Amino acid sequence: MANPAVSKAPTRNRNQFVRTRVSFAESVAAVVCVLLMAAIGVAIFIKGKYFDPARFMLKNEALKSTVADIEGKSGTIRGDAAQPRRVVKTDAVTAPVAAETQPAAEEGYESTAPAVAKSVKEREPLEIKVDGLRPMGDTEFYNADNLYEKIDGRAPAYLNFNFQQLRCRSFAVAGATGSFVDVYEYRFDTPVNAFGMFALERDPNGKLLAFAPDGYAGEQGFFFRQGACYVQVIASDQNAKTIALTGVIAENRAKNLPADDTGLEARRRLPATGLDPASVQFVAGNALGQESLKNVFQGRYDFDGAKLPFFVMVATPAEAAAAWTSLREFSGKFGGKVTALPDVNGARLFQAEGFGTWKIIYQRGGEIGGVFDADDAGKARQFVEQYLQRKVP
Amino acid sequence: MKPEPKSQPGEGINRREFLLRAGATGALIAGAAAGGYALWQPKHFVPGFEVEKGLQLPSFAIEPSKILPSLAIARGSDHNKTIRAAIGALGGMGRFVRKGDVVVLKPNVAFDRPPALAATTHPEALRAVAKLVLEAGAAKVLVADNPINSPAGCFLKSGLQQVADELNLDLLYPAANSFAPIEIEGEVLKLWTFFHEPFKRATKVIGVAPCKDHNLCHASMTMKNWYGLLGGRRNQLHQHIHSIVSDFALMMKPTLVVLDGINVLMKNGPTGGRLSDVKPMGTVVAGTDMVAVDAYGYTYLLERDLSELTYVHKAHDRGLGNKNWQETHFKEVQT
Repeated sequence: MANPAVSKAPTRNRNQFVRTRVSFAESVAAVVCVLLMAAIGVAIFIKGKYFDPARFMLKNEALKSTVADIEGKSGTIRGDAAQPRRVVKTDAVTAPVAAETQPAAEEGYESTAPAVAKSVKEREPLEIKVDGLRPMGDTEFYNADNLYEKIDGRAPAYLNFNFQQLRCRSFAVAGATGSFVDVYEYRFDTPVNAFGMFALERDPNGKLLAFAPDGYAGEQGFFFRQGACYVQVIASDQNAKTIALTGVIAENRAKNLPADDTGLEARRRLPATGLDPASVQFVAGNALGQESLKNVFQGRYDFDGAKLPFFVMVATPAEAAAAWTSLREFSGKFGGKVTALPDVNGARLFQAEGFGTWKIIYQRGGEIGGVFDADDAGKARQFVEQYLQRKVP
Repeated sequence: MKPEPKSQPGEGINRREFLLRAGATGALIAGAAAGGYALWQPKHFVPGFEVEKGLQLPSFAIEPSKILPSLAIARGSDHNKTIRAAIGALGGMGRFVRKGDVVVLKPNVAFDRPPALAATTHPEALRAVAKLVLEAGAAKVLVADNPINSPAGCFLKSGLQQVADELNLDLLYPAANSFAPIEIEGEVLKLWTFFHEPFKRATKVIGVAPCKDHNLCHASMTMKNWYGLLGGRRNQLHQHIHSIVSDFALMMKPTLVVLDGINVLMKNGPTGGRLSDVKPMGTVVAGTDMVAVDAYGYTYLLERDLSELTYVHKAHDRGLGNKNWQETHFKEVQT
């Protein structure tokens, strides 16, 4: 037990503060604070359990003051559309298709698009001066966040290829009421991704273009990849004049966009003769089930009546050699017989059979490629040998 | 009873004071709980915590007939003739529209694409339906959609504005005050901003939709067409696309739907862009059951396996329509 005499001794020269009473108001305030914190915690917990898509519902009224700063759409929040209106007859060509679209600076946007930051920041309008065409409105700009405002449910397909920016503009055809040409320039982070999206939508029956590395003309438009851009120039109809002007715009865009085939070296090595253009594919990784085969381009060839899938990968000589060895070992382990073939023009080759189909695989320097899944081993070997001897242009 | 002396500093508290404090604390807890309960909104709807109730659309459907078919399939290449044949097979537009009706026509004008690309309702399809409605004696025909892109551009380039002008139809563009929250007990759609202006006066509603491929939900047909009436950042709903499309069968009870399958966007939808994406299928399907119409469209116009079209099955399972269109009363006609 404590000695009272000892405990009281230090109070001689100093008043010890001993708080023995808490006021009622203080107690109430403390209790309220504690309860409020608990209530907030419970409220957050309960609220977080519900999925409510309407929580982020756009309130158009709240955005009125920002009309000028909204890029892209602005269609449903236009200053000139305060009231629903009955549309009166207008000149079909001169109607303000996209006049309300205001290019606007968007701070920080470039942080998500380092490869194309310069052009995104510049927000350069599509200025195309062609006799017989006049702009129907301003250039529209869309980025990854609002691409859906232009192409809605199609947007995810583009976003899968690291889409960066769309700029588009419409042009009326002079003297042809109702005829117009739409220009869409989809910019991606790399030429390879631009090619990927282009290839995904390719028309198998399109006619190849002379003015773009990957492109074709459809019945009502031109579609091509130039650098990191996938360009679509679409006519409103098949009027000869409109189609001709569409072609002029397409050539104009191909000339004005910077050429860049970075990452597409293997694509360039696919020979043109016999190639089904619609079959060209880019395989980013794990081609033919091999971890070492990446950034591969492949296409299907019609060779002397046989359908031959053919691939090419360009890498360092060491990587190509490793991939060749790996594929050879894999073919021997999981397929049938693997046979070494005589070298052709500095390339080493092997032939492998597996489950009734054939592979002829070569490696020369930093290039590895070959025919796979071929039904006819002789034609597959003949094709590869001709390719290596540069007999297949 | 002798009152207990008040406790002094350093003496702790006496029993009375303890009871008073405990009582006050208990009352506070009970008050806070009662206040919290009174303020609690189970639906937690709109930022701002205000209580908001959405409107509910009336049903625009007509009484089902025991004699006339509910689904018609017409084949032909001319929009006017084929649509007339389809609706004729259902008993004629007079079955659906009466003199004096105010009729809303809902096309799909989602994009500013030319008609040939089949990404939007074809102007000749709208023209054919509108003419039939006018011939049936409608007092007013409203054409309305909420394209996420510029409405002016979409209606102009799709050719629908020209049809509206020529037939003197009222073309309604969405404006800020055209919207109101709609409330349904959908799977995903509970309360959402809705392009309500056209429906304030409407007595009948007819959907006129193209049949097309869709990147996210496989197909855009008559049910998906109502998506164009939603406002706000509706792209969020893409995360639950099949649920939301099936919810449209609950949200909207139209008088009639017309599925234009004369030219079908078979791939690269919903925007398309190439004529090679479009295939002439020469068919128009009209009916009162959207689920049945879409089930037919997916199988025979898009030529795909219906088992993969989740939203049709969801709507069917919820009793919002019949995916087994063969079980309905249908009629096929050739123009």
